[in-house]
Amino acid sequence: MLPQVLHRAYLRCPKMPQVSWDVLSSLTVMVVHYSFLYMIFAMPLTLSYRTTKVINFVHSNFITYGAYVAILLNGLYGNRNMLLAMASAFAIVGGIAVLNNIAVFEPLSRRGAKPVALMISSMGLWIFYKYLLYTIIDLATHFSRVNFVSYPKIVYEWIPSVSLDSVRLSSSFIATSLSAAAMIVGLYVLLEKTNLGRAMRAVSDNPILSEISGIPKRTVINLTWLIAGGIAGVGGVLWTSYAGAITPEAGDSMILQVFTVGFIGGLTSLTRTCIGAVLIASIENYGITLLNQFFRVETSYKPFLTFVTLITTLIVSPPLGAGGGLPYRLFRRVGKSA
Amino acid sequence: MPEFDLIGFLVQWLTVFGLYSILAITLNLEAGFAGLTNFGKVVFYGIGAYVGATLTTYLTLYLNNVDPFECPPYSIDGIVKLIELGGKSPSLSIGLLALSLLAAFIAAGSVGFLLTYPILRVGPAFVGFTLLSFGELMRIFLRHYEPVGGSKGLAAIPRPFGWVGDPRLSSFIFLLLVLGLVALTYIAMNKLTNSPMGRMLRAVRDDEIAALCLGKHVPGIKALTLFIGSGFSGMAGALMAYYFTSVNPDMFVPAVTFNVWAMVILGGMGNFTGSIIGVALFTLMDRLLAFITPALGVAVISPDYIRWMFVGLLIVVVLLFMPKGLLAERPLKTPALDEARKLLVEGGGGA
Repeated sequence: MLPQVLHRAYLRCPKMPQVSWDVLSSLTVMVVHYSFLYMIFAMPLTLSYRTTKVINFVHSNFITYGAYVAILLNGLYGNRNMLLAMASAFAIVGGIAVLNNIAVFEPLSRRGAKPVALMISSMGLWIFYKYLLYTIIDLATHFSRVNFVSYPKIVYEWIPSVSLDSVRLSSSFIATSLSAAAMIVGLYVLLEKTNLGRAMRAVSDNPILSEISGIPKRTVINLTWLIAGGIAGVGGVLWTSYAGAITPEAGDSMILQVFTVGFIGGLTSLTRTCIGAVLIASIENYGITLLNQFFRVETSYKPFLTFVTLITTLIVSPPLGAGGGLPYRLFRRVGKSA
Repeated sequence: MPEFDLIGFLVQWLTVFGLYSILAITLNLEAGFAGLTNFGKVVFYGIGAYVGATLTTYLTLYLNNVDPFECPPYSIDGIVKLIELGGKSPSLSIGLLALSLLAAFIAAGSVGFLLTYPILRVGPAFVGFTLLSFGELMRIFLRHYEPVGGSKGLAAIPRPFGWVGDPRLSSFIFLLLVLGLVALTYIAMNKLTNSPMGRMLRAVRDDEIAALCLGKHVPGIKALTLFIGSGFSGMAGALMAYYFTSVNPDMFVPAVTFNVWAMVILGGMGNFTGSIIGVALFTLMDRLLAFITPALGVAVISPDYIRWMFVGLLIVVVLLFMPKGLLAERPLKTPALDEARKLLVEGGGGA
């Protein structure tokens, strides 16, 4: 295979750190895996922001709730069918997202609240849902005597793992890549080929004009929330097949990566969000391995690389269209016209 | 049942109330007046606390002829030495206190100033998120940085008034210091927001483009606001380190920020008195919960979770049904407004 030949050539180079083929190939599989996961986590964020204009901090709860729907089904009823878990997670988390919109975001925007107020209310909801989940988990643990606070990885049935010429693709990888592909194709068909998708794009481009043209804006926004919440919930289910242990902090611990991916996409472009997912997954995993090899940097510093990417994105190519923002200079140039 | 110690309760409650008041007042300046959605309040609080703690412990050892690099303050020997040496000399304690407060102000303020650069050109959402994640990174860094104690943090920070002798008297003097700083913050922020700068801040909050078109230096004003707000939060952090006599990375979780936000939103954005009322209500609730929780015994659902669910719901409910909070924003106090009021009271008619 070509990659192996290239790797052998690399190993002949003098003075380079020796990375074995096994390490490199498993690292690359991990990068691809994370890219797909970040796509599934971050694309609904972009989708919900561009249609509803709410910076949704509850998004991290969506992921956690999705994971816990799968965990509770597994722990209480012994469910190992991934499709069933995904369908339940889609329905429950999507329902929560619609409920949020009907109860909080819609009344606030109808009153003409600023985007900042919407964001702060989503922060309030974030705190509420986080501790609601802790309460539910405590109750479930108390009554079922199963430890739900730190739950091991779920092994789902029916999904095979594949070995390709010394590279092993786990069943979680297969499930994640299939889901990501299905999501991308589904979103493409939905947004480009159906009336609902056209209406969603119209609402995101110009809400007032779309309403004048007779598009039922409320229904479109509710459906957007259902889809966005549902996909994030499905992402949570996939996470249960990959992570070593799932805790109620699962979504929160990924919020930096997920939002950075969304910000790279400017919270408007789904294509750029996909690119952002690949970028963040590569920078994080390759970057920390290199730093670890060369400078003995601890792997727990991984989020720093993401944060540097975030800051660089904000300085070099700030997402001006999203959530306000003006092109400034910090220091005034005295005596020169701008 | 132990006897209820009213004075002890009041001193404890008011000290925590004072620390949170400084955070809430400065957050109100940033979020309520300047429209900077600072979701990383805890960053500046934490920087202040760590700067204060590090300076005090290292210098206490050094000035008492113990080499802090051979016997670092986070080691067992260092802690023993600190307990032995700390808080003996009034001049040293007061000097270290003043130095820590100053250094905390400068360090936290500078970080705030520098952090405005990447967030200048993006909307409030990105500002909030960037500051929030910076806080989490700071926590990861502190956990792994050995000179400030790693995940265990620094302990046995000498109390600034330990030389007084009577612990009750020393904590009372400390309370006076905290309340003094609250008063200073309150007066400074009131003066600031009732000045031309206050009008500029509101202009930036309400319409950045308009403010920019009127020739206001919007980036500068944002950076200055974050410098002042963060500086005062840093001082609160340093005092907090003295109050608890220890710091560790897990004290500075995002929950602290959300607590302060809930207080400010409940009290009313753009009204400092409202913030203080919000802080009083919240800290009182926490103190009472701390009394009630042990009485409940072992419960299936932790009261802590219920408390946090209540905080989250409160933010949403206040925003939905009482968007101005308990006390609404007032117009600026200017000489012109006073004149106009006087004319109205006197029945007008002109000069």
